[in-house]
Amino acid sequence: MSVWAGTIRQETVAARRERLPQFLLVVFLAMVAASAFIGSAAKGTVTAVYQEAVREGLTSAPNPFTTISPLYYARNTVIYIILIAALLAIVIGAQSTLRDRRARTIDLVLSRDVPPAKYLAAKLAGTGLLLLFILAVAALVNLACIAVATGSFPTPAQGARILALFGVAWLFLIPFVTLGMLNGIRCATATSGLLVPIVVWSIVIFILPLLGTAAHPVSLLNPVSKAAPAESGFFELTSAVTGPLSLGEQFKRTTALILEDPQSGGTAEGGLLVLLGFFFAACLALLVAGPSHMRRELHG
Amino acid sequence: MAEVGVLCRKELKDLSRSRAIAMLLVFLSAVILLSVLVAAADYRVKLAEYTAYADALKAAGGSPTPPPNLFPLQMLRAGIEYLEIVGSLFAVILGYGLVAKEKGSNTLQLLFTRPLGRHAFAGGKILATVIVWLVVVAALFAVVALAVLLAGRAQLAGQDFLRLAIAAAHTWAYFIMWSLLALTLASLTRQPASGLVLALVLWLVIVLVIPQIGDTMDPDNQVPGGLFTSLQIDRTNEKALLTHFASYETGRDFVEQTSATKQYERAVFAYLGVKTQYNQVPLGAVWDATSHNSLWLLTTSVFTVAAAFLSTTRETLLRKLP
Repeated sequence: MSVWAGTIRQETVAARRERLPQFLLVVFLAMVAASAFIGSAAKGTVTAVYQEAVREGLTSAPNPFTTISPLYYARNTVIYIILIAALLAIVIGAQSTLRDRRARTIDLVLSRDVPPAKYLAAKLAGTGLLLLFILAVAALVNLACIAVATGSFPTPAQGARILALFGVAWLFLIPFVTLGMLNGIRCATATSGLLVPIVVWSIVIFILPLLGTAAHPVSLLNPVSKAAPAESGFFELTSAVTGPLSLGEQFKRTTALILEDPQSGGTAEGGLLVLLGFFFAACLALLVAGPSHMRRELHG
Repeated sequence: MAEVGVLCRKELKDLSRSRAIAMLLVFLSAVILLSVLVAAADYRVKLAEYTAYADALKAAGGSPTPPPNLFPLQMLRAGIEYLEIVGSLFAVILGYGLVAKEKGSNTLQLLFTRPLGRHAFAGGKILATVIVWLVVVAALFAVVALAVLLAGRAQLAGQDFLRLAIAAAHTWAYFIMWSLLALTLASLTRQPASGLVLALVLWLVIVLVIPQIGDTMDPDNQVPGGLFTSLQIDRTNEKALLTHFASYETGRDFVEQTSATKQYERAVFAYLGVKTQYNQVPLGAVWDATSHNSLWLLTTSVFTVAAAFLSTTRETLLRKLP
């Protein structure tokens, strides 16, 4: 069996035995399933509120939800990918390299004619494939729940857009996998191996957007895009610096366009380029910085 | 009682020497400072936009509306949200570490060779947690007050300091709750990492998922800028309209109330006047409106103290792996 096939197989088998990823996976799939029904409840209430407002003569504005696409029901999924799937990716990545160090199997593996970078690349491929499988299952769950919530199956074009959402999600999540793997290689203890990437995730998701747009952290949990930041002075400068680094916001903006959110503007190319940039930079960082520390002892 | 004091002192000494804990706290202070700076910059941007609009209106012969007011404590909104999200995560790490380090370095066996009372170990850890968070929260809120005064260039009245002190007390209870929950789970599980797993999953659900569900179900959050604003419906009519949807709102409120994070947020936002309906409202009136949130938070914290006290015993800690 080649290094690639053996390592990929080992990654998928070992990940299935870990408890934390399983817990997070259950929460993730449950929330992906629930997201369509949450969207359905919100839409039903907004429509009823609007009809009541019209009946009481309080508004003459058009109904903001007149022509709503089934893709609307996938909007919450984007938030669960940023919150839960990103943590899942970090944990899968960190456990992947911590496992080798904890059991000292890395010494055994590297005593063979296996280049460390090739071994790490194979581990990343295994973890990436596992994540792809998880996202494929989540996409099917999402499609099925949207069909139940709306009473009809999404059209092939809409189905393709939902699949594209999960494809972009994979690009978004791989940097978090590599962050987990890299930290799992370099950390002194298993606890810091898990916690440091989680702190980095909290910075990327909650702190960088604040600097660029003054958006409050909790408002970032809402899939509805906020008003654009001021186009002058302080925020023009900070958003130019932090905007491309705000991976979560780039992902939200790109997927809003994929899901044809009527409130989103511009094109998806810019966001996709940023996500691809992070994807390749993260893979490169793992392959360059990882091999030299793989045999470090783990203290607790 | 003396042994509780000794264990507590030892814990405080360890925590004061921990570089990781020091870094986490510096990070938290920096984030809060940053959030106040951003809020102050945001206010100044809005004021500049207003001035430009007022000048243009005056030049055209019109009379502009009064300028936007600066309520200094409202600048703390993002800072408080960071405490509820990132701060609680650090509290989990601290609580988990209190037990994990003993299990990891095998000091538990040595410790329990001494004639310790049944709950002395738990008592020492809990007391240390309570003291550490008291000191840390006091320091964080001193940073908060300084940030508002210096970075925000705002003035605080005596009443504002009292409001900050009440917010600090809520934060103290909130952090103790998370640390002791993590400590309990690390004690109850044979492998501390499994305790961390459970604590992180609970953190994810309570801090992020439940508030997100409640927030997303809010009809006003379905349209950028707010549904009622887009429909040009004022606040009075909005309230009257929503009475027709009382059961939906009750359900949504129930979902939010199951999260201790929301209880914390609602109480603190009310005291700081972040929520417009509580801004500049006397403290007694705020207590009347939000006492249930404060009391739920307190009850949850007391529950975690009891859970940590009862679960962190020699029998549970020294259980062997199957």
